[in-house]
Amino acid sequence: MKNIIRCENIVKTFGEGDQQCRTLDGVSAQIGDGEFVAVMGPSGSGKSTLLFALSGMDTTSKGSVYFLGRDLSELKENELADMRRRQMGFIFQQPTLLRNLNILDNIVLPSLRDNRGNATGITRKAQDLMRKTGIAGLEKRDVTQVSGGQLQRAGICRALMSTPEIIFGDEPTGALNSKAAEDIMDIVSEINAGGTAVMLVTHDARVAARAGRVLFMQDGKILSEFQLTKFRKEDLDSRTQKVSDRMREMAI
Amino acid sequence: MYLRIIRNDVWRSKVITLTIAAFIIAAALLVSLAAVLVVNLFGAIDSMMLQAKTAHFLQMHSGDINTERLLKFAGQNGNVEEFQILEFLNVDGSQIVLGENSLVDSVQDNGLATQNERFDYLLDLDGNVIHVSDGELYVPIAYMKDGTAKRGDTAVICGKEFKVAGFLRDSQMNSALSTSKRFLVSENDYAQIRNLGAVEYLIEFRLKDLEKLGAFEAAYIAAGLEANGPTVTYPLFRMLSAIADGMMIAVLLLVSVLVVIVAFLCIRFTLLAKIEDETREIGVMKAIGLRVSDIKRIYHAKYAALGLFGCLAGFALSFLFKGILLENIRLYMGNAENASLALLFAIAGVAAVFLAIIAFVSLVLRRFRKISPAEAVRFGAIQEKPAGAGRFTLSQNRLLSTNVFLGVKDVLGRKKLYATMLAVLVIASFIMIVPQNIYSTISSADFITYMGIGNCDMLISIQQTDHMERKAAEINEAMKDDDSIARHVVLVSKMFEVKTEQGTPERIKVELGDHSVFPIQYTKGKAPETGDEIALSGINTDELGKTVGDTITLLLGGKEKSLTVCGIYSDVTNGGKTAKAIFSDNSAEILWYTIAAEFTDSALPETEVEEYAGAFTYAKVAGIEEYLAQVYGSTIDAVKKASYTAVAAALLISALIILLFMKMLLVKDRYSIAVMKSLGFTNSDIKRQYLSRAGLVMILGVLLGTLLASF
Ligand SMILES: Nc1ncnc2c1ncn2[C@@H]1O[C@H](COP(=O)(O)OP(=O)(O)OP(=O)(O)O)[C@@H](O)[C@H]1O
Ligand SMILES: [Mg+2]
Repeated sequence: MKNIIRCENIVKTFGEGDQQCRTLDGVSAQIGDGEFVAVMGPSGSGKSTLLFALSGMDTTSKGSVYFLGRDLSELKENELADMRRRQMGFIFQQPTLLRNLNILDNIVLPSLRDNRGNATGITRKAQDLMRKTGIAGLEKRDVTQVSGGQLQRAGICRALMSTPEIIFGDEPTGALNSKAAEDIMDIVSEINAGGTAVMLVTHDARVAARAGRVLFMQDGKILSEFQLTKFRKEDLDSRTQKVSDRMREMAI
Repeated sequence: MYLRIIRNDVWRSKVITLTIAAFIIAAALLVSLAAVLVVNLFGAIDSMMLQAKTAHFLQMHSGDINTERLLKFAGQNGNVEEFQILEFLNVDGSQIVLGENSLVDSVQDNGLATQNERFDYLLDLDGNVIHVSDGELYVPIAYMKDGTAKRGDTAVICGKEFKVAGFLRDSQMNSALSTSKRFLVSENDYAQIRNLGAVEYLIEFRLKDLEKLGAFEAAYIAAGLEANGPTVTYPLFRMLSAIADGMMIAVLLLVSVLVVIVAFLCIRFTLLAKIEDETREIGVMKAIGLRVSDIKRIYHAKYAALGLFGCLAGFALSFLFKGILLENIRLYMGNAENASLALLFAIAGVAAVFLAIIAFVSLVLRRFRKISPAEAVRFGAIQEKPAGAGRFTLSQNRLLSTNVFLGVKDVLGRKKLYATMLAVLVIASFIMIVPQNIYSTISSADFITYMGIGNCDMLISIQQTDHMERKAAEINEAMKDDDSIARHVVLVSKMFEVKTEQGTPERIKVELGDHSVFPIQYTKGKAPETGDEIALSGINTDELGKTVGDTITLLLGGKEKSLTVCGIYSDVTNGGKTAKAIFSDNSAEILWYTIAAEFTDSALPETEVEEYAGAFTYAKVAGIEEYLAQVYGSTIDAVKKASYTAVAAALLISALIILLFMKMLLVKDRYSIAVMKSLGFTNSDIKRQYLSRAGLVMILGVLLGTLLASF
């Protein structure tokens, strides 16, 4: 299986001298084509920092990250931006859309940059995605006129516009109630079933249970990995149980 | 899509957007006006001087004239293109009555002239050379402007009746600053009254090469030709025409530069506040892969639109105001030929304002680079550092009320934010004070002491008559016996030859007498105190190449006299080429006498001035205020107009700025306001806190501005 992302022995430190802390302390990992990887661990263990490092949003202090074989540390800022825009998708805990744009405009904003001429095609694609994620009809709404779950869906639509190789999510369900979280995760699973790789940071065993592989982190290191079978919705309860058991084992 | 971003953003911050728009409009308006005025002023002056064929070199002369010698000089000098000697019939103001009004109070040297055949034409208001018929009189434009004369009036000059047929532009003597005014009559009429006034000669040259004017001037002086009177050259004519409106333009330009700066400060402030507010959104946009330049474009869009709108509106508005400000230029100088050039300049100026705004916004947006996407996603908005006025604590405060204290503490804590507001207020008070200062300086009586005239109440001059010495003595005696005269001094001006190193003879006018009675300001050195000291005017020091401490040798009746240069002063009288000394001399011919006097009771100068004017009809008597009003009146008026505009602009700016900043603070502080309210502070408490902030910043701003402006 071809790797989309691979990192070797990456170290990330913050601060200087006495105050210095090693947030990532020699992490090696890879995410394969179409794979769904969940990252779990206690608060402050370095999960978000790992996600930022892998997506090129932040630099590493040591070690290298390769995205489709390219060393991220050798790319310029604009090249990194282009790479994130065209080949990666992001879903954050707080849905972050621009206040001055309506829902539809927010979704098409990054794609319009590359395909100015094809505005109608892009709009059609966005409306397609909105229907799939269940927010059809909200195109003209302001970001303040929809619910948190709907905003998160709009964020997912924006992430999917460029048909990315991989979707990164940092606690995408953290701010939602369990019903809304379940709906969002159904969409994510569907995206993954379509062949897009996913890397999710989460505290929630029920979210991690949808992954094919779970990484457990502590103090900036990957403590262990947990391999799961191919996901089926019927298995969700039992898988969740397995992940929870494993977490208890690890004393997380 | 950008349109929607702009529209929503404008809708969300109406007041702020409107304020910035107002500043951009004002800046574009002022720049455009200044450009239009500059081009029109110089364009109009140039077309007038072209149509009138203004003389390149003018020597006024009273007394005997040796025409043959002048003709010979003109023939021999290779640079002379054309040459003419004109007559100017000096008529006392009391002998000129226009309709109901007499010119008895005029400080100008009014006189009659005929139309010239070769150059130095007197023009009508359409710019055409006037052809005057018998019985017709054309009156200088200044007397139309001040309402002294109307077309169709009956005028009486030296007892002869004329009909005011129209008004004339005199390319050489239009300005109130050049103190002669020519009335135009026909040759026949002139011949009839020629012996009723004093004839003065205007010796005029047009040169082949204007560049070599300096050399020509030197040659003229060296030839020892007629020079009993002021010398005026082409550039000086140009300057005299430009000065009144030029001052107005200068004030306009100053104000527009300041308004542009204020607009920039406002843009910076709002933009920084917005960036701070939206740091998280910006970080997220970076995270999802938008380039910094893309994000910038979103923020740029609003200011580009705002700038475009403001610049177009300001440009359009300038057409509305243009007429009023051009009125004076049109009246005195006529239309500029290159009016389309004015449009071009105005467009260029406004475009420059627009580009400057865009560039400036780019500059402010540079800090997008520093926003880390990871941090934005992790922490959200980067928190403002808390107030750092550590030693200034509420529990130790005994002096101020709690609300005032909290307001003041906030100002000290958020220095940067308030510094921007302060800067704007400083500039606003600067705008208000500087033109006011200029205005009060040039309208104060002391100002003349910077221009070569002592600070007295009355000036009497005796010139172009016979027995000047006896007449001066007569006035001197009268003043000695007059209790209402506190101090007076008699100064006599004479022409002396200067011995130069090169051996080329030069001649200077020296004013002899006691210069300590009504002292003037010296830019360097001091007034002459002993018989072997001399002070020179600025232009003379340049021409003679002397400075304080140098010696200069004059020829007094063939004998050499060495004098030490003791001071340098600036002078606008008599073409700016004068000198002051106190040695006595009986050899040289007297040019004129000047008698300056101060009254014991300076409250009623008019009656005293009139008394002297009535008693000594051969002398020209002027009250100093009257003199100033007539000579500098139009300049002072222009500056006054501009300075009132500036005051209005500054007040408006201050009000808008305070409104803008308070509005933004309230938005920024909505959280802490909510906290304070929940702690039990009332609305009026909070209002007082914000008012004390605004008050503190305002007082500081006005103080600083005043301080700065007075340097
Ligand atoms: N910019 C920074 N400066 C200093 N320290 C930082 C910075 N970013 C992260 N850290 C530190 O790195 C450690 C790991 O942070 P990280 O956000 O990766 O943890 P996490 O596993 O995502 O935690 P959580 O589950 O609470 O989101 C924390 O101790 C944090 O204090
Ligand atoms: Mg985290």
